[in-house]
Amino acid sequence: MLDEQGIERLREILKSDVSARSHFVNMQMISAAIQLEGDAGLTPQLEDIHPLTPSPRHPNTLSPSHLVTPSRRSASFLLAVAASLLILMLGIWLVSSFITDDSDRPSQVAGTVDREVRDTSKEPTAHGVAMVTRLVGVTWGDDQTAVEAGDALPAGRFAIQTGHAQIEFFCGATLVVEGPAELELESAIYARMKHGRLRAHVPPAARGFSIEVDDLKVVDLGTEFGLSVSPNSTGVQVFDGEVELHPSTSERRLLKSGQAVVRKAAGEYQDAQAVPESFVDIAGLESRARLQDAARYGRWKEWSDKLRRDPRLIAYYAFAEQGDWERRLACSNEPANPKLDGAIVGAREVTGRWNAKRALEFKQPADRVRVQIPGEYSSLTLACWAKIDSLDRWYNSLFLTDGYDKGEPHWQILDDGRLYFSVRPVNRGEPGPRDYKALSPSFWKPSLNGKWIHLAVTYDVDTDTIVHYLNGKARSRHAVPEAQMPSTTRIGTASIGNWALPTQPDARFAIRNLNGSMDEFVMFAAALTADEVKEMYECGRR
Amino acid sequence: MEQTEIKEQFVRQLTQHQNRLYGYVYSLLGDHGRAADVVQETNLVLWRKIDEFQPDKPFLPWAFAIARFQVLACLRDHKRDRLLLDAELVEVMSDEVERKADQIDAIRAALRHCLQLLSANNRELVDRRYDRGMSVADIAEAVDRTIGSIKVALLRIRRQLAECVQQRLAAEE
Repeated sequence: MLDEQGIERLREILKSDVSARSHFVNMQMISAAIQLEGDAGLTPQLEDIHPLTPSPRHPNTLSPSHLVTPSRRSASFLLAVAASLLILMLGIWLVSSFITDDSDRPSQVAGTVDREVRDTSKEPTAHGVAMVTRLVGVTWGDDQTAVEAGDALPAGRFAIQTGHAQIEFFCGATLVVEGPAELELESAIYARMKHGRLRAHVPPAARGFSIEVDDLKVVDLGTEFGLSVSPNSTGVQVFDGEVELHPSTSERRLLKSGQAVVRKAAGEYQDAQAVPESFVDIAGLESRARLQDAARYGRWKEWSDKLRRDPRLIAYYAFAEQGDWERRLACSNEPANPKLDGAIVGAREVTGRWNAKRALEFKQPADRVRVQIPGEYSSLTLACWAKIDSLDRWYNSLFLTDGYDKGEPHWQILDDGRLYFSVRPVNRGEPGPRDYKALSPSFWKPSLNGKWIHLAVTYDVDTDTIVHYLNGKARSRHAVPEAQMPSTTRIGTASIGNWALPTQPDARFAIRNLNGSMDEFVMFAAALTADEVKEMYECGRR
Repeated sequence: MEQTEIKEQFVRQLTQHQNRLYGYVYSLLGDHGRAADVVQETNLVLWRKIDEFQPDKPFLPWAFAIARFQVLACLRDHKRDRLLLDAELVEVMSDEVERKADQIDAIRAALRHCLQLLSANNRELVDRRYDRGMSVADIAEAVDRTIGSIKVALLRIRRQLAECVQQRLAAEE
C-alpha cells in the first residue's frame, strides 16, 4: 500500500501526464483480467451451472496455478452475481446468455500447455553415502534424529540404542548394525566404528570397503565379516572370503574364512574362535523384520477392530480382507452397512503396509473407488494411509465429491506437495463467499517416494478451524472466516483416489488420479483431536 | 416490443457485459472486493432504470455511465480509505478506461497465454496473490522472503504480463 504522500504523488503524475495515465490504465486492466482469471480458480465449470449445457468437461481444469484455465467458467463469479440478481427478479433462467458469452473462447488441452523450459540447475538432488533399508526394534538416543527405512544417510554420525539396523552403502556393502552402536559414516566406501557390533556383507562389486576402529583398519576383500567394538575389547571374525587388517601398531595381516582375532584393552591381537551365529546376518534380520511386521500388523488390527465400532464413523475402509474382493471395497463399519461399500474401478490390489494386508494401487487416469455416502454432517475428519509414487498430476486426488456443491469437501494434493482441503460454502451458481482453500506448506520430498505416509485433515465447525496432518503431526492450522465455513457438510457420490465421472460417453475428464497406493481410508463425522490423529498414526505405522 | 422481450434483452446485455463492467470498475478502484460490490450495485441501479433501456441503442455506454456514478459514490463513501484515484481522476480517465474495458475479453485471452510463460515461481506468486487473495505479508511469510521483495516481484510480474499482453494484442490487430 502506498502511504498518503505516495498516493498524492501518484495522483499528481496521473493528472499531469497523459502517457502515465495510459500506462496506469493498462496495468489496472491487466490486474482486473488477472482477478477474473484468478477467480476462475476452482469455481465450477459452465456445465456445472447448468447440467444440460452440451459442452464436454475439459481437461484444462488441470492447471496447477488455476490460472491457465480457459474461460468458459472463468467469469462464473460475476455471472453468478448478475444471474442470481436477475433470476430473482425475472424468474427466468437465461442459460443461453452464459453460453453465448463464453463459447467462442479458445480451449486448451492439457498436453498442449507449455511448461517451463527445463533449468538443469533446478534438477532435484539428494545427498547421502548410504541408505537405511531395515529397522527392527530400533530405538534412538536423544541426540540422534530418528530415520526411517528408506531414508538416505548423509555422511556423519549414525547411532542406535537398541535393535538392528540394516545400512546399505552406495558402493554396495551392507551392514547389519546391532544396538547400542555408534558409527561415523565417512563416505560411500568407508566408515568408522566407535562401539557396537556389526556384520558386514561385501559383495565383489563393493570390494575395498573399509571400516576403521581406533588404530585398526579392516579392509574387505569381498566377503562377510563381523566386528565388535567395546571399550575394552575389539574383535574381528571372517565368515566368508578374506579381509586385511591394518593395525597401526603391528604388521598388516590377512584374515581368512573361519578365522578370528580379538584384542583386549591395549594388548596385541590374539587368535580367537569365530562364532558366526553371534552376529545377526541379513537373512536373520529379515526374519526378525517379519516378526516385527506381524507384531505391528497385530497392533493395527486390534486398533482397527475397535475403530469399526466408533459411533463417530461415517465410513471406514480398512482394506483388510484378504483375497478376492470382487471389485468391491468393503466398508468396515460395525454394524455392517453394505450400502457404503465402495466399487473398485481399475485400481489393482497390491500388498499393503504389511504382508498380511491389502492395498489398492491407483495408476491409470481412470483408476478409482466409487462410493455413495448419504447423510448430512457437520465437523469432519478424513484420514488415509497412502504411498505416493509421485505427484505428477496437477491435482492428485485423495477424496473428491463428484460435484462441488454447498458443504461438499475436496481433499487433494497439489503437484508441488501442498495438501489442499476445501468445502464449498454456497451452491454452484449462487452468490456468496468463495470457498476457503486450506493449503498446507509443501510436505513432499522425493525421499517420501514409495513410503507409506499417514495423511489426515480435520474440519471443525465449532472452532472454524481446518488442520492438516502428516504422520500424526499437525502440518498446518487454518482459521477460517465463519462465512466460508459451512456448518453442514455432505458427501453423496464421491471417488477415492480420483475425481468425478465423465458425464458423457465421449467426454474428456480431468486427470486427477493419485499415482500411488492407499490401504486405509476413514471418515469421521467429528473433528478428531491432535492426540487421536497421533494415535491413528502410531497404531498404523509400519 | 413486448415487456418480457425487453427484459430478456436487458438481461442478456447485462450478463454479456459483466466482465467489461468489472474491468472498468476495478481499474478505477483497484480492489477486488470493492469492485465486486460496486459492480453489483451498478447491476441493481441498471435494473431499476430499466425504463431508460433502449434495446436498439448500445448498452455499454449507458452501463459505463451508471458504473461511473457508482464508482464516484464509492469514493465519497470511503473518503477515509486511501483509494488511489480521486473524483477528478476518475472523470479524466473514464473514457480511456471504458475503451480498455471494452477489450477485456481479448486482454484475458492474451493474458491466459502470457501466464503460461511465467516461471513456476512467478506463477506461484500470482496464484497466491490473485487466486487465493493472500496478502503480500502472508505470501512473504509463506515463501520466506521479505515483503519488499514480494512487492517488487509482483510488480515485475505485472509489468511482464502487461508487456506480453500488449505484444499479443498488437500482433492480432
